[in-house]
Amino acid sequence: MFRNIDEVRDGLGSEQYIASEEISTVVYLAQNLCKPILTEGPAGVGKTELAKAWAGATGRPLVRLQCYEGLDESKALYEWEYAKQMLYTQLLRDTLREVLSEAESLTEAAERLSQEEDVFFSDKFLLPRPLLTALMSDEPVVLLIDEIDRSDVEFEAFLLEVLSDFQVSVPEIGTISAIHQPMVLLTSNNTRDLSEALKRRCLYLFVDYPTFEAELDIVRLKVPNLSPQLARQAVEVVQQLRHMDLRKVPSISETLDWARALLTLNAKSIDEETMRNTLTVLLKYETDVQRARRLLGGNGGRRSDRGGRFGR
Amino acid sequence: MAVAAATEEVVLDDRVVEFVRGLRAAGVRVSLAESMDAMRAVGLVGITEKETFRQSIRATLIKESDDFLIFDELFPLYFGTGGPPLQSALEDLSPDEQEMLKAALSAMSGRLQQLLDWLTSGQGPTMEELEELARRSGARWANTPGEARWVSRRMLRQMGFQHLEEQIQDLVQKLQEMGMSQEAIEKLLGVVEANREALAEQVAQQVGLQVARDRAERSRELHGSDLMHKSFQSLTESEADQLRKEVQRLVAQLRSRAALRRKRGKAGKFDPKSTIRANQRYGGVPFEMKFKKKKLKPNLVLICDVSTSMRPVAEFMLRLIYELQDQVAKARSFAFNADMEEISVIISGNRPADAVAEVLYNIPPGYYATDLGNSLATFFSDWSDSVNGRTTVIILGDGRNNYNSPRIDLMKRLQQRAKRLIWFNPEHRQQWGTGDSDMLDYVPICHEVYQVRNLAQLSMAVDELLAMS
Repeated sequence: MFRNIDEVRDGLGSEQYIASEEISTVVYLAQNLCKPILTEGPAGVGKTELAKAWAGATGRPLVRLQCYEGLDESKALYEWEYAKQMLYTQLLRDTLREVLSEAESLTEAAERLSQEEDVFFSDKFLLPRPLLTALMSDEPVVLLIDEIDRSDVEFEAFLLEVLSDFQVSVPEIGTISAIHQPMVLLTSNNTRDLSEALKRRCLYLFVDYPTFEAELDIVRLKVPNLSPQLARQAVEVVQQLRHMDLRKVPSISETLDWARALLTLNAKSIDEETMRNTLTVLLKYETDVQRARRLLGGNGGRRSDRGGRFGR
Repeated sequence: MAVAAATEEVVLDDRVVEFVRGLRAAGVRVSLAESMDAMRAVGLVGITEKETFRQSIRATLIKESDDFLIFDELFPLYFGTGGPPLQSALEDLSPDEQEMLKAALSAMSGRLQQLLDWLTSGQGPTMEELEELARRSGARWANTPGEARWVSRRMLRQMGFQHLEEQIQDLVQKLQEMGMSQEAIEKLLGVVEANREALAEQVAQQVGLQVARDRAERSRELHGSDLMHKSFQSLTESEADQLRKEVQRLVAQLRSRAALRRKRGKAGKFDPKSTIRANQRYGGVPFEMKFKKKKLKPNLVLICDVSTSMRPVAEFMLRLIYELQDQVAKARSFAFNADMEEISVIISGNRPADAVAEVLYNIPPGYYATDLGNSLATFFSDWSDSVNGRTTVIILGDGRNNYNSPRIDLMKRLQQRAKRLIWFNPEHRQQWGTGDSDMLDYVPICHEVYQVRNLAQLSMAVDELLAMS
């Protein structure tokens, strides 16, 4: 548990996550108000990383639920382990026969069998999925519900029940309530509007692309071997690219990939040659690459290269 | 001490409540639970760290990044310091010099003396004085940040900022005559200059806050059920904007409610194929039963009257069509005045406002041209395949047919063909059948007829509609 906001920042920092003032504040609030955090923002700004760092910093296990279209309760909550149940039935056949052999009538046999029924519907045969794992865990966990916007509206409604009471009911066993209330972090890329009920229950954190200094810090932290001057240049280029009208602007993870690529290639500086060879690490569309080359490569006197025809 | 802290907390809570009201007035949706969260958060982090305080309030109140802008605009107004404080020039002056200043000031005219007094003494205008000034400058008529800036400029003029330059020159001259040292005058001027900016800032904040408050007061009259009962036609521009928002919310609500209904009706027929597939791993012993998902696929045909009599409400009707078509995959939309035209493509290919504008542009009103009968005939010859036994047909119109043939026979055919025929009429029931209205002839044919004159009626009608489908 963090005692104050600075501790949050330091804790996340020790997990190699550079948290802004705002992120630290919201995490601190979430922990103390026992509320889930809903993070939104462009892809690749470290929303998922935050959950990992949070778990690492608090020493709690991370339980991750990846959402996708068609995800339903049985995949998110629990399943019965049919195969194991069947195996046990086979192995216990003799015992069962013994139990049943004393029965004199069919009714009595059925009666006896139903008395033993509980054996097969106990938590021994319950296969917990992420949500149930998070609730039943002996130690408090960090529950990451990733890309909630990809799930269906029905699932969102179901999730709402779980998040408000932190308990679920399994018809055969009964209600299972959380031993420790998990810390919950939901991420969304904003591909669809989430319901107001869900938003109301969460603290809202919008993570945007970092500033120049923050991104430079991240690159230095994650790719320490890259020369400071080159790191600065690289981040400058990335920041410039983000301001261009591209189909997909580079995210932090792509900046890091690029930094590693530069390191591997032993680049001394970011010249046109290096740029041409490595720009595809940053940009994932051919039109973007052409456009960026045209706009960035103004110094080489190659303004009128073929990029012009392909740019938007 | 504890008492003082407690009252401070109460004051702060009041401020938060007031701030929430300001946010709501500006169109941000904040629930009661969220404002409680904000107070809990503030209680936790305290107010000493201004930035932390701001972030805590934002994380608890604002749940959409689009609303950050409004938040950033309003926050300093409610939790600002009221502008930087004024400094006093008197401290640096000797008692003699203070006397001189007093004498020089007393020789000036009332309003300017007051202003220069504020600027030199460091005792700015009181809250009441500022409010009074703001009132006289017409702050109550301002509604937007831009207008608030205009009001504060006016206020500064009223306070005499316009002639300040000359007055300061005058003052300097007088002081020089009285024999104040150049050094002291320089110092005095420095303070006055700083105070002048500070005072302007104070005024701007004061006006901004007042405007935001007034807006919060006013919007209370507008918000909520009152708006729900206003008829489509009697709306001002800004009310129309709010209504549009309500429609969107309504549709969002319908969407989730519809989804829940769909979920309840999920248990479908036994599905042998996927059962066999799923049970391969148990050696073909059918442990897991698989069922076909019963998919409720609503099938809609929307027909909208955009004739002259419907024009005032047509935009909203089309807007409704837009939202419905957006929600229901199998939906086709038509609009008619003299003749029927399909508008599905326009609707699905454009953003709401553009789509509505384009439809209204494509089908010009034309006087005394409405002809539902003819439109129905066209509909049957060109698009009769769009209606089958699973289709719900919704007609939005007033049934005023310009004494053309109502073609009751075609309407009957439509009703027989469709699963359901529903009519939304914006006119009052008493007016049906009067003048050129053929509505009473159509009513017995339709499965459902609703008077949809305002949002409340619309939401009731759509609710019933979804409950039955």
